[in-house]
Amino acid sequence: MMPTPDQTDATESETTGLPGLRTWRNVYLLVVAVFVVWVAFLVALERIFS
Amino acid sequence: MNPLDYVVLLATLLGIAIYGIWRTRGRRDLKTYLKGDGNTKWIVIGLSVMATQASAITFLSLPGQGYKSGDEGGLSFVQNYFGAPFALIIIAAVFLPIYRRLNVYTAYEFLGRRFDSKTRLLGAALFLIQRGLGAGITIYAPAIVLSTVMGWRLDITIIFSGLIVIVYTVAGGSEAVNVTQKYQLAVIFAGMIAAFVVLVERLPTGLTLTDALTLAGGFKKLNGVDFSLSIHRRYTFWSGLLGGMFLALSYFGTDQSQVQRYISGASLRECRMGLMFNAICKIPMQFFILLLGVMIFVFYLFQQPPIYFNRAALEHAGNLQGIESNFAKAHAEEKQQLLAWLIAKRAGDQNAETAARTAALAAQQQTDAIRAKAEAAIVGKSRTTTNEADYVFITFILDYLPHGIIGLLVAAFFAAAMSSKAAELNALGSTTTVDFYRHVIAPAATDAHYVTASRGFTILWGLAAIGFALCANLAENLIQAVNILGSVFYGVVLGLFLVAFFLRRIGGTAVFWAALAAQLLVFVLYFSLNISYLWYNFIGPAACILFSVAIQTAIGPTARRDEGESQI
Repeated sequence: MMPTPDQTDATESETTGLPGLRTWRNVYLLVVAVFVVWVAFLVALERIFS
Repeated sequence: MNPLDYVVLLATLLGIAIYGIWRTRGRRDLKTYLKGDGNTKWIVIGLSVMATQASAITFLSLPGQGYKSGDEGGLSFVQNYFGAPFALIIIAAVFLPIYRRLNVYTAYEFLGRRFDSKTRLLGAALFLIQRGLGAGITIYAPAIVLSTVMGWRLDITIIFSGLIVIVYTVAGGSEAVNVTQKYQLAVIFAGMIAAFVVLVERLPTGLTLTDALTLAGGFKKLNGVDFSLSIHRRYTFWSGLLGGMFLALSYFGTDQSQVQRYISGASLRECRMGLMFNAICKIPMQFFILLLGVMIFVFYLFQQPPIYFNRAALEHAGNLQGIESNFAKAHAEEKQQLLAWLIAKRAGDQNAETAARTAALAAQQQTDAIRAKAEAAIVGKSRTTTNEADYVFITFILDYLPHGIIGLLVAAFFAAAMSSKAAELNALGSTTTVDFYRHVIAPAATDAHYVTASRGFTILWGLAAIGFALCANLAENLIQAVNILGSVFYGVVLGLFLVAFFLRRIGGTAVFWAALAAQLLVFVLYFSLNISYLWYNFIGPAACILFSVAIQTAIGPTARRDEGESQI
């Protein structure tokens, strides 16, 4: 009854299927970039309307 | 609420539950019951992860947090989520491929593969204690607020929402949780967006969204980022980034109620995409809910709010006529100054604008002081276990939203409670079945037997949660007590996983005794030190890692496990 390792995942782990973001490293960088944009937006929101 | 609201409420809740049962009817094999049909797409995973984390109290009390004054009010709470994107990246890059490759049902099964059986049981037991005790609060917290405001019986509210969840979670397992969460989240978003639109519509004529934001900024409500290094401030950029990352890492990476949501994907890509969806959407979502609270604050600048939002507690407090009369006068003065400010702003009269704004800020401080006085009088006379901020949004909904939308919003709160509850019950049932029943008691039974056992355990956990929620009002400060319990256990569980993933020379015996010692240390510190319980989320994993290294060094290198280790 022990589960067996899933062999299918080994080959698909490198591809994202996203145009312009072919590696997961690029996807992670995009997430970090979005975070930076959000922080900048929040800082700007406070400064503009203070 | 009128009959239309009740129709919307019941049709929404029962409709989603019945759909979940129908969509997942006839699930008999263990893999499908615990992990779904293996075809789950990233958007379903993403929404499911989001729905599991966002409980009813998130949607009830977060707008109240945005409404609040002071350093901890306004948008400041959004910083709590700053660590989440980074934690989700670590989970997607490190944790997830290993969970998928080992094809585990539970996160603790991985500990068994990486270390040994005793470490697996320790991790699973710590999860069951913490999540099992916390399960009741997921039902109790929104029920106490909604029953207080609506005048419903608390016990009926708890039993009604608890039983619906048990029925569809037991019937359809993990897939039922996923398919219902998708629609529950749609109801939640529809309700929140409807509330925001109605709120902006109901702002005074001529007051634009820019004016509203300028007012909010003037009252320091748009304080979304604080780079202060002070450890005394609860929400700062740094505490959110570091503390939030640890919290998110332990919650998303090691809590079975979350792990079960994202390991069920059709492929590693779908699972990762689901997590990255949350990494991108988490901060905007929390920002939007807090902004809703900020807009409610602006709305109540022009419309006199109740002196205390928990009206049941206000009634228990007796005669506060003097305080209420002072409050009405101070609020009228503030409103007058704000209108003068708006007129001066439109006329381009800089001096008059500055003078009116200064006077409005002074008037706001006056109303805050009166409200604080009222709160002290009310809290002293009534026995309340909830925060007043929890009542801000629901009071606004009942007083100002049209019928039908009220029913939709109340359905949204219940949907949020049920989606979190379903994921918790599903995880508790799965862990009890896979890590204890199948692993220790009945290792050679059939899949159908395990599915039946899992259903039985899910029912037991569900009934225990309802029972706990029904008894919960006997305890003071219950929510805080459960949060403390979580922090006391969460850290050590995270420590076990961090050692498993990153310290490959540490063996099962070293980490097992290290985790027990770390847990003991956390207990001792908890009872002897007077520090915020949030620190235990750092102390637990740090102690577990240090003790593991020390014990492994003392006992010498351990032979690597032949099973599992090589696959990791």
